[in-house]
Amino acid sequence: MRAKKRVKPKDFVIFAVTLLLAFLFVYPVLFALMSAFKSNGDILKSPVSFPTSLYVQNFKDLFAQSDFLTAILHSLFLTVVSEILIVFIVPMAAYGIERRKSRTTSLVYTYFLAGMMIPFHLYMFPLFKEMKMLHLFGNMAGPIICYIAGSIAFGALLYCSFLKGIPLEIEEAAMIDGCTPFQTFWKVTFPLLGPCTGSMVILNGLGIWNDYLMPYLVLPSGRAKTITVEIAGFVGQYTARWDIVFAGTIISIVPALAIFCMFQKYFVKGVTAGAAKG
Amino acid sequence: MSKKKGFDRTAFAFIAPAFIFFTLFIIVPTVSSFYYSLTSWDGISPDIKFIGLANYKEIFTSDRFRNALGNTVILTVFISIFENAFALGLALLVDNVRWGKNFFRSAFYIPVLISGIVSGFIWKIMYNYNFGTFNAVLGNLGLDSLKQDWLGNSALTLLAIGIVLIWKGAGYYMIIYLASLQSVSVDLIEAAQIDGASPWQRFKSITVPLISGAFTINFTLSLINGLKVFDQINVMTDGGPGFTSETLVYLLYKVGFNEGRQGFGTAVGVMLLFIIIVLNTIQQKFLRSREVQM
Repeated sequence: MRAKKRVKPKDFVIFAVTLLLAFLFVYPVLFALMSAFKSNGDILKSPVSFPTSLYVQNFKDLFAQSDFLTAILHSLFLTVVSEILIVFIVPMAAYGIERRKSRTTSLVYTYFLAGMMIPFHLYMFPLFKEMKMLHLFGNMAGPIICYIAGSIAFGALLYCSFLKGIPLEIEEAAMIDGCTPFQTFWKVTFPLLGPCTGSMVILNGLGIWNDYLMPYLVLPSGRAKTITVEIAGFVGQYTARWDIVFAGTIISIVPALAIFCMFQKYFVKGVTAGAAKG
Repeated sequence: MSKKKGFDRTAFAFIAPAFIFFTLFIIVPTVSSFYYSLTSWDGISPDIKFIGLANYKEIFTSDRFRNALGNTVILTVFISIFENAFALGLALLVDNVRWGKNFFRSAFYIPVLISGIVSGFIWKIMYNYNFGTFNAVLGNLGLDSLKQDWLGNSALTLLAIGIVLIWKGAGYYMIIYLASLQSVSVDLIEAAQIDGASPWQRFKSITVPLISGAFTINFTLSLINGLKVFDQINVMTDGGPGFTSETLVYLLYKVGFNEGRQGFGTAVGVMLLFIIIVLNTIQQKFLRSREVQM
């Protein structure tokens, strides 16, 4: 279909325009990266220049002046534990909806999808009150439970659309061999949903890693919370020490970037499948 | 698989955990927010006084709410239009570029990966009057007269915030447009080419109708995301200068947490949900009807 065509001048123009735009898009990230390795004086003096040497004092100061290590561990803990539980709960629900079709399960599906329209800010005050009543406020369990609840709408959409493409015959064979519905799901269907699970975990995990308002408001004050919350705090606190804040931003960006580079196709799959009509 | 009659215990067992989490931590607080919006609840004290529609009365008469609504509309419309235009442009470029397709697709997606807080901080520094990138570049170009206090000048604040949001979001919508563009059949385009259609005619008459599904999705998503912007405003301006960048979500947050008026804040939230539902309905009616199914 796309055999080697002759290179036309038009190709160079498109390439040049795309390259320029790509540079402009990546520039702010590059700027943060360069600034993280410059002294505060250099950031102020010459914001657009490259760092002259590998200067890591910012990172040393960051860990010396704040409890950033705790923040990193908190971010990791929230993301990993939430995702493990989400992978346990959401695909099962989608399986129940999609493979046990009835008027009730379709209604449940619509009910879940309605959740996509509800903004978190609308219900956050009553939610926090409820969390206080259930002793979920001021500890790590609170955000995790809310992240699970918040993942269901998008997760159900993603898994249901994916399940439609998985043939029933394999499951039926497993059932005939005496598997219970649960065994059939976890041993036969779930492994086939790998790409879908990958997409959901990655998109959702990124959302949790980058979340701000929930950990900021729910986790106990007076201690380090998460990376994002620490950075937001620095912006107010160290108005004169941008170097430290830039070091923090790099620690926040690099894991997301690394995951993206490793699992690119899952990002693309997740975004496009989520956008397809459910 | 046969349709089950009556109560399906297996389906129930599969769905129950998700149903319970979803109901308890999204639907219950949402429904109860309608009640709290009718109270003068301060968020802390246990006694919650019912005050009827007083919060809504205040909403419709307060200048602060009108200002926040105006800011939200301006910001959201600005973002939705330019984000989509940008994303579609990028998708067309990436679809047609001859070398490095995957590389470019990734490059445009990178801002999506960054948290709202971090992106807000980076741009806040770039917008800085004395030490920021924008003014440094303008200075180097000899355009000192164009130097601005980008976030401090109330005429530019919303625009400056909007640019950050477009930068951060365009890559996401680009992926959706790109997938849609790649599903447009090459045969159709070639047939039109043979019939003598110009590139613009081909784009307008074949590509646009066929990617209108992606357009509906992206427009809906960008509107809803625009209405929910919080992190960048929090880091970059805190709603200021004055109230020039205070949106509905930010107003809700400020009255709720800084001013101890969570009943009123929740009423603002209810208005926000109402706006989202109305917008969604209009869009479904207006845009869906223009879609072409293949």
